[in-house]
Amino acid sequence: MFQNFRLAMAWVHTWFGLVLGFVLMVVFFFGSLSVFDREIDRWAIPESRFEPQPMPSFDRILKPVFESMQPSPESVAAMRPRVDGPMPEHFDTPVRWGAYTTHRDPVLGVFAGYQVPNAKDPEELVWGNRTIDPRTGESLPDDHLKIGSQFFYPLHYSLNFHWKDLGYWIVGLAALIMLVALVSGVVMHRKLFRELFTFRPGKSSQRRILDLHNLTGVVALPFHFMFAFTGLVIFAGMYFPVTHTQLEPLHDLHEIIEAEETGLPHERAGVAAPIASVDAMVAEAQRRWASKDMAGDVGFLAVQHVGDANSYVSGYRAGTDRIALTGEGIHFNGSTGEVIREDPVPSAVENIGEFLTGLHLQHFRHWLLRWLYVLGGLAGCVCIATGFLFFVKKRKRQHAQKGVSGARTVEALAVTTVTGMLIATLGILIANRLLPANLPARGDWEQYCFWAVWALAMAHAFWRSGPVSAVRTAPAWIEQCRAVAVLAVSAVALNWITTGDHLWRTLSAGYWPVAGVDLALLGSAVLALWAARQLKRRDRRAARAADESAAGEVVHA
Amino acid sequence: MTSATVFRRQIVSRTAAALLGGYVFAWGFIALGVAGMFAVGMSFHDAEHLFSMLALLLYLGVFLWSFAAREMRQVWLVLVGGGALMTALASLIQHALV
Amino acid sequence: MPDNLMLLMALLSNVVGMGWLALAMEVHWKQVRGRTPRGNSTVLGLRALGALALTVSLVLCLKVDHPSMAALVWVMALAGAALVIAFTLAWRAQWLAILLARRPARARV
Repeated sequence: MFQNFRLAMAWVHTWFGLVLGFVLMVVFFFGSLSVFDREIDRWAIPESRFEPQPMPSFDRILKPVFESMQPSPESVAAMRPRVDGPMPEHFDTPVRWGAYTTHRDPVLGVFAGYQVPNAKDPEELVWGNRTIDPRTGESLPDDHLKIGSQFFYPLHYSLNFHWKDLGYWIVGLAALIMLVALVSGVVMHRKLFRELFTFRPGKSSQRRILDLHNLTGVVALPFHFMFAFTGLVIFAGMYFPVTHTQLEPLHDLHEIIEAEETGLPHERAGVAAPIASVDAMVAEAQRRWASKDMAGDVGFLAVQHVGDANSYVSGYRAGTDRIALTGEGIHFNGSTGEVIREDPVPSAVENIGEFLTGLHLQHFRHWLLRWLYVLGGLAGCVCIATGFLFFVKKRKRQHAQKGVSGARTVEALAVTTVTGMLIATLGILIANRLLPANLPARGDWEQYCFWAVWALAMAHAFWRSGPVSAVRTAPAWIEQCRAVAVLAVSAVALNWITTGDHLWRTLSAGYWPVAGVDLALLGSAVLALWAARQLKRRDRRAARAADESAAGEVVHA
Repeated sequence: MTSATVFRRQIVSRTAAALLGGYVFAWGFIALGVAGMFAVGMSFHDAEHLFSMLALLLYLGVFLWSFAAREMRQVWLVLVGGGALMTALASLIQHALV
Repeated sequence: MPDNLMLLMALLSNVVGMGWLALAMEVHWKQVRGRTPRGNSTVLGLRALGALALTVSLVLCLKVDHPSMAALVWVMALAGAALVIAFTLAWRAQWLAILLARRPARARV
C-alpha cells in the first residue's frame, strides 16, 4: 500500500501524531507543571505557605489524629451497594493507617482504611483522608483544592476523566503513539546528527517550523522516549491487568508464598493489643539506614491491622538523594516494637523498575534537574505544537483553493490546545484567588472555571480562525497571546492583593514556592506579548505581500 | 472499487491490527512470560515487571510493523494467532502449577 | 568546590562542548568563520575538544550526585546545551567565535 518503509512511517507519524497530538500536548504541558505541583499548591492555598516539615512524631501528633478519624461520607456511600445489610454509624476497626510526606510538603496527608462489617468482599475497605499541620496536628480544611497535586497532576495522566478509567486509557494510547511518533520521526528525518543544531529562522515559514519541530524533538529525544515509556511502565499493571485477570490464581499462589517468606501477617489475630512507641521504631529504622550509608528521613509510615496483636508498622525511607524509588522498608511488630523484617536488597529487575519509575515520578531533591525536566517537557510541547503548525502550513493554500476546511479546523484546534490551554490554566489560578473563601465545594467551582474558560477559548479559536482560508495566520493566535499576558499579570496581582505576598516580600524572604510561581507567570506574560508582537509583524508583512501580488495580477490582466 | 476505498480499507485494517492485534500479542507475551518464568523459578514480581516492560517495547515494534508490512494477512496471523497461542500456553502452565 | 558551582560548571562545560562539536560541522563553521578554510586537523581537534568538554561535564555531575541522578542531570543538560547552541547559531552565530579564541566579528545579517 505504501511504496516504501519511509512513506509508511511518514503516514503513521502525520496522522496518528495529529489525532493524539492534542492529548499529548495536555500530557506534556501538565506534566511539566506537575514537576512543581507542591509549589503550585502553596500558591493556591495561602494557609499552607510555610516551610516543609519532616514526618512528625507518631506518638504525640499522628496517633491522636488517626484515632479521631472516620471514613469519608463519599467512600461510605460508594461502598454501600457492596455490603449485605445496613452500614454502621461508626467504623471501629481501622485496618490501615498511613502518612506520607516529601521534602517539599509543609502539610501532611494522612489516610485511614476501615473494615466494613458484612462487606461482600471482606478485603475491601472504606477510606478517610485528612490534611494536617504537622507542627500541631491541627486539621486543615480538606475541601481546598490542591491545584498542583490534585488537579494538574492527575490531569497529566488521566485527563481527570474517570468514567470507566477512560482518561487513563486515552493517555496510555497517546503515550504509545508518542513512542511511535518518535521512532517514525527518526526514520523520516534521517539527518539526526547532521542537522542537530539546525534552526534557520530566516527561511520560509514552513522550513522554519519544521526546523523547530526537528530541533525540539531530536535534542530532547532521550527525554521524550524515556518519559513516554516510563509513563506506560508505571501504569502497565492497569493497561495489561494480566495478573489480576487471567493469571489471578497464579498471583494468589505467589501471595501466599510471599506472606510466608516475609513473616508479615496477612490476617488479624483477633486479639486486641496496644501499639508500642512508633517513634522508637522510626529511630531504629533511621539507625539501620544510616548504618547502610543511606541516612535519611521517613517518607511513608504505615500501620497494618491497627490495634491487633498481629499489627505491624512499616517505615519507608524518603528517596531524596537518588533517582530509584526505593523505600528500604523496615517492618516492626506493632505491639512489641521488634523488627520483623528488613526489605531485601532489590533484584536486578527491581532495580531497573525502580529507576524507571523514580525517574518519572521524581521524589529526589534536585532543583536543577527539576528545571531541566520542565525544559524537556516544554520542548515536547513545542515539538507537538510545531507539528500541528507544519500540518496546517503544508495544506493551507491547497485547502483554501479547494474550499476544504480541514486546515482551518486543525488550526483552530491547535490554538485551543496551545494558547487556550494556557488561558484555562491561568483561569483556574485566577478563580482560586477570586472565589469567596467560604463558598461550599469551592474546589469544584475552581475546576468548573478551568473547563469553562477552556471551552470559551475554543469557541474563540473557531470564531477567529477565519482568515486561515485566505492563507493568513489566524487572528485567534494573536488575541489569545495577549489574553495570556493579561491573565498572567492579573494572577500575580491577585495573589498580592488577596494574600499580601507580593514578589518583593517572597523574594526577600527567600520563599521560592510562591515567588517561583509568580516569576513563572510574569515570564509567561512577557513571552506571550513578544509572541503576539512577532505574529502581528509577520502577518502585516504577509498581508502587504499578498496585496502587492494581487495588484501585480491586476496590472498583468 | 476505487483506489480511495481500497486505501481506506487498508488503513482501517492496519490501524486495527496495530492497536488491537498489537494489544493481544503484548498480552499473550506478558502472560506467557510471567507464567513461564515463574515456573522456572523467577520471582513473580520480577517476571511481572520485566515482561510488562518488554511487552511495551514489543507493542511499539509490532505497531510499526503493521504499517510497514507488505502482506496484511501475515500481520493478522502473527499478532492475533501468536497472541492467542501465548495466552493459551500461559493458562496451561498456570493450570499445571496451581 | 560547592555543589552549585560544580553544577554550573557542568552546564557551561556542556554548552562549550556542544559549541565545539557544532563548529566541527561545515555548515556551522561557515556561519561563524565565513569562507575561512579549515583543515582536517581543525575538525578533528574541535571534535576532540567537544568530546572532552562533555566528558568533563559528566565527571562534574558525578562528583555532585549519586550516579543515577548525575547521569540524568548530564543527559538533560546536554539537551539544554544543544538548544542553546542551536539558538545562538540561529541569531548570534558570531558569538561562537569566542570558542575559537577569536573576537566575534560584526554580525553580518
